[in-house]
Amino acid sequence: MNIYQPHLMRICEITDETVDTRTLKLEFKDAKIAEQFQFSAGQFGEYSVFGEGESTFCIASPPTRAGYIECSFKATGKVTQALRRLAVGDTLGFRGPYGNHFPIEMMKGHSVVFIAGGIGLAPVRCAIWNVLDLRDQFKDVTIVYGARTVGDLVYKRELEEWAQRSDLKLCLAVDPGGETPDWKGLVARIPTAVEQAVSTAEDTFAVICGPPIMIKFTLPVLTKLGFPGERIYTTLENRMKCGLGKCGRCNIGSTYVCKDGPVFTAEQIKAMPPEF
Amino acid sequence: MTHRFLSHHDLALLAADLVASGTRVIAPVRAADDLEQIDYLPIQKLEDAALGVRVTRRSLKEFFLPPSEVLLQYRQTKEGVEIREVPTVAPPQVILGATPCDVAGLEIVDKVMGWDYRDELWFGRRDATTIVSFLCSVMDHTCFCTAVGLAPDSSRGTDLLLIPVEGGYLANAITPKGKALLQRCPGATDASEAAIAGAEAAQQEARGKIANNLAAIPAEFAGWLASHYDHPVWKTIALRCHGCGACAGVCPTCHCFDIVDEHDSSEEGARRRNWDSCQTSKFTLHASGHNPRQSQSERFRQRIEHKFSIYPTRFGEILCTGCGRCARVCPGGMDLPEIVGNLVALSKAEPEGSAQ
Repeated sequence: MNIYQPHLMRICEITDETVDTRTLKLEFKDAKIAEQFQFSAGQFGEYSVFGEGESTFCIASPPTRAGYIECSFKATGKVTQALRRLAVGDTLGFRGPYGNHFPIEMMKGHSVVFIAGGIGLAPVRCAIWNVLDLRDQFKDVTIVYGARTVGDLVYKRELEEWAQRSDLKLCLAVDPGGETPDWKGLVARIPTAVEQAVSTAEDTFAVICGPPIMIKFTLPVLTKLGFPGERIYTTLENRMKCGLGKCGRCNIGSTYVCKDGPVFTAEQIKAMPPEF
Repeated sequence: MTHRFLSHHDLALLAADLVASGTRVIAPVRAADDLEQIDYLPIQKLEDAALGVRVTRRSLKEFFLPPSEVLLQYRQTKEGVEIREVPTVAPPQVILGATPCDVAGLEIVDKVMGWDYRDELWFGRRDATTIVSFLCSVMDHTCFCTAVGLAPDSSRGTDLLLIPVEGGYLANAITPKGKALLQRCPGATDASEAAIAGAEAAQQEARGKIANNLAAIPAEFAGWLASHYDHPVWKTIALRCHGCGACAGVCPTCHCFDIVDEHDSSEEGARRRNWDSCQTSKFTLHASGHNPRQSQSERFRQRIEHKFSIYPTRFGEILCTGCGRCARVCPGGMDLPEIVGNLVALSKAEPEGSAQ
């Protein structure tokens, strides 16, 4: 079996997150592979629709839940539009897991602040559930999540579940103008929401993912709170084909997002050439 | 290394023996569309080959990484998807008369193809191939192999190096594969001192012909490139570049590829790997419309950075063999040896410069 050959997976559940964002729950068709498959929070894969091609997404479900994986995607390009046409029971291809992962082990015994914008919650959600499934091994857990409008918030049922939990602090926000009459969260952009929800960087790791502009304006807030660059983790994406360090397109300078990432610290990103 | 002597007749017999045994033999051949041009093509007999005429139009890359190859075939029906694997074991082939730059290029690309995940399609062909290289005496003003640590008589990556001498070739078996090939030549004899001396003279002469084309690229150049992404030189360096990617096609070390699915019918199709180039705008384009390398100058900078900084940083060597093909083929007249020479001069003049 050559390294570009995917495993076959069956779609066992489809959840529409927003008008254009969908989550697929997938099971390996081959029971042996299903049993052997392991991954870590933050890793990604190449998902394929036969006849349309491959597309790169993170694994959005946590490694603490065995037997299936989930991916969330926005129908934007050729493959994602084809993925949207698939139904429960249909087959797709999956190669992975690839890349590095969030330092969940290192975070144990400490507090974690998760910050996400829009569909950027997908990789963060993987880490959130990983931490929540091992909740007693971590100190405080804070989640700051926002989107442009209420309609753009993903994983809504889970947001409700997190809101009910007493062992975490959830702060939801939508951009000004994006609220509905019954919206109970903040009407603010993410940097402001972080300022309100997070009071200390002491003994705390930060995990952040979202649009580049959101990250750009949130990092100074985290720095002001006292987070050193090496305790802020984010995950990058770039156009990829192989996911294996060979096809030559996801590099930022000498850093390969597929092999060295996709998870990087703010410190590492600061040192990269201006090419992303 | 053993110094053996082969007559031209011995070499012709070897080629005939290989072809008869079902081995594909590839050699430089005059192109059917342009007798002035030379391509690597399968031959039936040694007389088909045009040895020592000029640098071939394309490198050897296509015999290991075809311009388009099937990664898998699929059949998709209502019942599901069935994948048919492609073989990773390749049929035997011998390259006869490769230039040392092309051969070295294969060994350089081996590093990325074996980086943690082994590309069996590449290595399957590498393993099945025996390479007989020739001392290069066909260099022109565009060649600069000596600037990137190679030479017209470099034995890097080859199995058997032949150096033309009076009446035949001095044959140096570099690997067991090369030795085995030489053992298939019953006419081979121990090389005479005259043949060895003749070979040395030919090697000297070949090195002399190229040494002045471009000075050796200093080791510090990689670091300078890595810290000068924002140097103003990049703004104007690619004004002549059309972004066509022809340079990447002919390059022995450019290995970037795309992966696409092609339907053969409503039910069947293939996932293919196709050559790609960092010079096209689509190469890094995100589905969102965002493009990390928006302008041609950024894309050309990537080409230079990858070859002379990124690959050296990751794999310890320059991703260029100095074959000069990119300069020969460029419709815009982008001359890589000239450009690199200018950048090296700039790096020496401004060692700190506008470092970010």
